[in-house]
Amino acid sequence: MFITFAFVTLLGALGMLLQKNVIVAGLCMVATFFGVAGLFLLLANPVAAALQIIVYSGAIMVLVLFVIMMLNSHEEEAAQTARPVQRWVSVALVAALAFGAVKLVLTSAGLRAMAVSGEPMPGAMTLQKVGTTLFAEHLLGFEVAGILLLAAMVGAVALTKRDL
Amino acid sequence: MDKLASLLHTTPAIVWMVGKVVVVFLSVFLLASVWTWVERRGSAMIQDRIGPNRAKLFGRWPILGLSQLLADGIKFFFKEDLVPEAANKGLFWLAPFLAFVPALMGFAVIPVGKSFVCDGVTYHLSVLDPGNGMGLLYPLAIGGLAVYGVLLAAWSSNNKWSILGGMRASATMVSYEIGISMAVVAIFMTSGGYDPSEVIKAQGHLPWTWYVVRQPLGFLVFFTCMFAETNRLPFDFAEGESEIVAGFNTEYGSMKFSLLALAEYSHLMTASALVATLYFGGWQVPFVADPPVLLSVASFLVKMLFFAWVFVWVRWTLPRFRYDQLMHLGWKIMLPLSMANLVFHAWRMSQGH
Repeated sequence: MFITFAFVTLLGALGMLLQKNVIVAGLCMVATFFGVAGLFLLLANPVAAALQIIVYSGAIMVLVLFVIMMLNSHEEEAAQTARPVQRWVSVALVAALAFGAVKLVLTSAGLRAMAVSGEPMPGAMTLQKVGTTLFAEHLLGFEVAGILLLAAMVGAVALTKRDL
Repeated sequence: MDKLASLLHTTPAIVWMVGKVVVVFLSVFLLASVWTWVERRGSAMIQDRIGPNRAKLFGRWPILGLSQLLADGIKFFFKEDLVPEAANKGLFWLAPFLAFVPALMGFAVIPVGKSFVCDGVTYHLSVLDPGNGMGLLYPLAIGGLAVYGVLLAAWSSNNKWSILGGMRASATMVSYEIGISMAVVAIFMTSGGYDPSEVIKAQGHLPWTWYVVRQPLGFLVFFTCMFAETNRLPFDFAEGESEIVAGFNTEYGSMKFSLLALAEYSHLMTASALVATLYFGGWQVPFVADPPVLLSVASFLVKMLFFAWVFVWVRWTLPRFRYDQLMHLGWKIMLPLSMANLVFHAWRMSQGH
């Protein structure tokens, strides 16, 4: 199961990068989101999987595709000049970032705790658990995120409607 | 069931699972196709016409026009399968399936009857057993995907009318989803659970404890938004045949068109089942505390089909909204109403503690 979802995720991401047609690339991204949702399910977190599909596949990607269709730009624009140096630098940077992230995860305390046999497996995540953790342990972060989103919303309205 | 399982060299659990999947999805599929007939006869009834009554089974039995369904099916199968020259071929093929599969899949989580115990094993009458952790988030997630079918069918046809229809439909569906989610959150809060079985249990068997009585505003918002979600009149902006030919399915013919139409009716069935589950007690039988299993299934079917009929009824009663009216209704009326509903129930719960 893991291999299937991982393949869906990676192939979707690859397709998104390689497709010239912007709409097809967007659909590949939806496939990636699905793969990630499947991985969440395997991690015993069905809530995150459902939210992933509701928020990313159901709302954000629809809006992105909507804008692409509205602007009617179906093909990717060709670069004006080739930039080989930047290309390789970016590849190297991404590789370093990925290596660092994987290393960080593999050496984390959480993973080592999981390797200890006899440790009780955490139960599946439920919406109730998400709610209590959000409002009991991470209240400050939650409020900050809320204010940030509100500011973004007000900013978006102010930008699009100059004369209110 | 044990005998059947040993005959097929599998376990009873797998036989039960496969049986459930086949029976539930096949019956939704069949109901959806029967509902195309209900729609035509119903519209004829409402408009004082006769409706389809000519097709006869073996040239003899018209069965109230039901044989029209078979005739239509055969016709769609044997029609020439046209693909426009400038269409994106792959997506043009994919779109009907992308419309149809989510419409059907949303049904998986809905309990069609009371769970029962047989030989010490509990059997649940929903494809996904309760306690799967997704609960009612699942139909919301799947419902959000239905828009891709419309959007892709519209875009891949490479036709201006199609694109207009697809864009309007996707904007509608995304806007109305927020109202739906807010209404459903109020239900999660009051029932204390988000699994359909918990929601049904919290409603009890007395009709005045169902959520339609306890949260009438939520019901109103949810049901109205469902019309927009399923692209049914008065909100069918994907098609709008008097304005943009046939909208997103202008270029579709033969079996692909048939699939798109069936997707609409499957979506309608799923939506009705959701309304019945969330606001009308699901399989609960009024005034019967502990109904027999078959009675509970019948009760659920009656509720679901009633709402499916309301969808048809409204379609032939109300005229289509204008597009700006629709957006106005969605953002300035439905969303504040469902938020007010949410805040009111949160306040009432906080008073109760």
